[in-house]
Amino acid sequence: MTMSRRVFVKGGSLALFSVGLDPLFLARAAFASAAPSDAGPILVCLFQRGAVDGLSMVVPYGEREYYDARPRIAVPRPDVVDLDGHFGLHPRLAPLKEWWDRGSLAVLHAAGSPDPTRSHFDAQDYMESGTPGVKNTADGWLNRYCQHDREHAATPFRAVAFGPQLPRILAGSAPALAIHNLQTFGLGGGAPARDRLTEAFERLYAGTTTGLLASSSDEAFEAVRVLRQANPLQYEPAAGAQYPRGPFGHALLEIAQLIKSGVGLRIAFADVTGWDTHVNQGASDGQLAQRLGEFGQALAAFATDMGERMRDIVILTMSEFGRTVAENGTAGTDHGRATAMLVLGGPVNGGKVLGSWPGLEPAHRFEGRDVAVTTDFRDLFTEVLARHLDARELAAIFPRFAPDPARYPGVIRT
Amino acid sequence: MRYASLTCALLLAPLGATGGLRTERIVPLTPMERDTVSARDSAIHALNRLAYGPTPGEVDRVASFGVMRWVDAQLEPGKINDEALAPRERALPVLSYSREALARVYADAARERREAAMGANTMMADSEPAPGPHGRLGRALTDQYVELTLIRAALSQRQLYEVMVDFWTNHFNVLIAKGADRFLLPDYIEHTIRPHAFGRFSDLLGATAESPAMLFYLDNWESVAPGARPPGWRYRFGVGGADSARRARAPRGLNENYARELLELHTLGVDGGYTQQDVVNVARIFTGWSIERPERGGGFQFHDWAHDWGSKVVLGMRFPAGHGQDEGVRLLRWLANAPATMHHVSRALCQRFVRDDPPDGCVDDAVAAWQRSGGDIGAVLRAIVNGADFWAPANRAAKVKTPLVFLVSALRVTGAQPDSSLRLPQVAARLGEPLFMHAAPDGYPESAAAWVNSGALLDRMNVAVALAADRLPGARVDLDVLLGDTPDPAELVAAVDAKVLAGTMTDNTTRVIEDEVSTVPNPVAARALAVGLAIGGPEFQRQ
Repeated sequence: MTMSRRVFVKGGSLALFSVGLDPLFLARAAFASAAPSDAGPILVCLFQRGAVDGLSMVVPYGEREYYDARPRIAVPRPDVVDLDGHFGLHPRLAPLKEWWDRGSLAVLHAAGSPDPTRSHFDAQDYMESGTPGVKNTADGWLNRYCQHDREHAATPFRAVAFGPQLPRILAGSAPALAIHNLQTFGLGGGAPARDRLTEAFERLYAGTTTGLLASSSDEAFEAVRVLRQANPLQYEPAAGAQYPRGPFGHALLEIAQLIKSGVGLRIAFADVTGWDTHVNQGASDGQLAQRLGEFGQALAAFATDMGERMRDIVILTMSEFGRTVAENGTAGTDHGRATAMLVLGGPVNGGKVLGSWPGLEPAHRFEGRDVAVTTDFRDLFTEVLARHLDARELAAIFPRFAPDPARYPGVIRT
Repeated sequence: MRYASLTCALLLAPLGATGGLRTERIVPLTPMERDTVSARDSAIHALNRLAYGPTPGEVDRVASFGVMRWVDAQLEPGKINDEALAPRERALPVLSYSREALARVYADAARERREAAMGANTMMADSEPAPGPHGRLGRALTDQYVELTLIRAALSQRQLYEVMVDFWTNHFNVLIAKGADRFLLPDYIEHTIRPHAFGRFSDLLGATAESPAMLFYLDNWESVAPGARPPGWRYRFGVGGADSARRARAPRGLNENYARELLELHTLGVDGGYTQQDVVNVARIFTGWSIERPERGGGFQFHDWAHDWGSKVVLGMRFPAGHGQDEGVRLLRWLANAPATMHHVSRALCQRFVRDDPPDGCVDDAVAAWQRSGGDIGAVLRAIVNGADFWAPANRAAKVKTPLVFLVSALRVTGAQPDSSLRLPQVAARLGEPLFMHAAPDGYPESAAAWVNSGALLDRMNVAVALAADRLPGARVDLDVLLGDTPDPAELVAAVDAKVLAGTMTDNTTRVIEDEVSTVPNPVAARALAVGLAIGGPEFQRQ
């Protein structure tokens, strides 16, 4: 394993220098300091689309109201994986406990948007644009981070979304890649024909001077070149890490693969769906438990696979909002406000449930029904960008917001 | 290699350009036709937007028929002869299954599964039992419907109709992978969406609200007034075991899912001025709107016992106590023509047909037509197509094709014949748009920003090259019919420009394709390469 990883790393840095002939790449690299591509901090953002029930993910099992409000779907006390005597992980997230014990996993509870919308689409949009309440923001906050990033080398793989579409959070003027499947990225066919075809298409699109088609194709061909050198096709996870089957496990596996191939990945993004549990969400077992099981397993596999590299990696989970405190009429939960977000990695100030917990008493709920938001998601995001990625232009990344270290929830060790 | 091809192209290009023969043979413009160049441009634009792109020869046919006459004809799909499609439809048994018949297959498959699970070794409980004959039939019928959707898009003469069916399929999105929607979806598209695609919006809205597919997808079928119990339901005092499981399944109250999406996506739009309390009251109004058991046909059923008979207020409108299903009908009728709805839906139509960021003028025209016609979708479409924005030069070729439009337009322009298998739908999935598989209720996005990214572009190039070489799974192409063959690169590229890009090829594309084909001695391979590059190139990504 160590052997092949070295080879990848070497191949990766080789690739970076050999494609140095490409003027676009040179122009971008000139802005960046000469940090080696295979070291430095990495941020992995995972979006639980559909609004995950934070109260099932990190259960306030010490609270009577939790059990009162959810006669059919509360996780029974004996099943909860205790964290601090008040909160505990859902039993299917047990694989993450090891990271909590090592101080590498923090939970931020009662986090969410200052905007009270309960629309999935608006709330996702706000979380990705980073401008709650403002719909016409053109780009996403991770893309704006890349636009202002002068600290790290600008490689074609600096920001990659693993999925068929480039998500809103990475949309914008800075180059960002969407990779559906690493194995088939690029043009098909045997080597000589494929290379000629790639060159022909590159010239075709070089004639498109403006717009998305032009920038996307530039990025595509640059990435194809680098990836061909890095050759990440043969991949064996380290330390026996077992990624769960399914698109999410596969996305995390490919993120690991790309990190190890040393192509300069700085920001990785993946979606994980299936959280909109309006009906029969279940408790320790059932629909939601199954999704959490896959989720926890994938995160644990990734952390195991990355091994020592976790030193430089922070995984940040997010979801557009949480769900109602009380179960609904169909043994599920409807759209709510705050949820729990997980932060995992070497630089994390872990072993703690952070944020100010508002409690579940009806009087403390938002509109009497939802977990109140006590941490603005932008305070979390700015802290991670500032303390983990050394981002400096936070005000530009989060417009109409005054970033303030005093409000950081404290997820990153200082 | 590179140099050789460049030199070759440079030598050939001027020769080709000065050859009078070439100009006449490849760009066949007679003086009369030259006067109708703008009619030709209009035909290209109309076919790109109101259809899934032109088939071979169609641009000229529409131009000489008259573009507006063609639009008028497209707005009356019932009068269009679709004889090429008919045998393909007849070949797919799914269309001869009523909803009741499909429901029976589903119920039989479920019974079969239960029996298989009970008979299976308990050690194997985790593994999915292989489907029995009913399960296989159910799956085959659903697959057929997915195949049919691509076949119709590619082959139907009623192109605007098919485009609108796709529009409404996304506006009133249902996920085929969600439980019973596997068997409800074919009936939903066939008998709820399609009959109303050009009709009144209020009819379409009412039909979707009553459709079992939507009731299931957005959970309304099991939303009941708090505390309501089905007749014969008895509370049991058992603890644990099957008893408590049954109790957990008994419906106990409201589910807001449909109510919210009805207001946010189907009608008023997210800025439609409603509150959380309005959502709750809309959910109360629709309590009892449910579905029969599949064994009994799986149709719409109103459950008196589940309905909330109390009084409600929605957006200031009073709904007095004592009303049943009629208050839901009244609400839908009001929502269908509420000003916010007219604006929201008109905007979505202008986004589909004019520009990703729809011009206000287009939306205003559409809303005015909506008001005049009482929400007649055909009249609204006519207003959009008659508007200046639709034809404005700045809006032509200004949209990037969605994966579905890209794939179908590529099939059409090459005259490809889609087969009856899942292979083409799988190509659509690889391009990012698996049919009926959008999980969230907002449907597939329409704007370029959602679709254009580097990975997706590479996938399109791969599909283009495979299609042109007749190697795309699920479609057969015969380029002999489309192009003939010529050993002269310039002549070949000019023919590809005329046939594939309708004469819109840029100088850069012309140069690049000429360079490439001039290094390929085999004329058939050269032709496939030229067509593949044209379809995978930048011009063809736009509509």
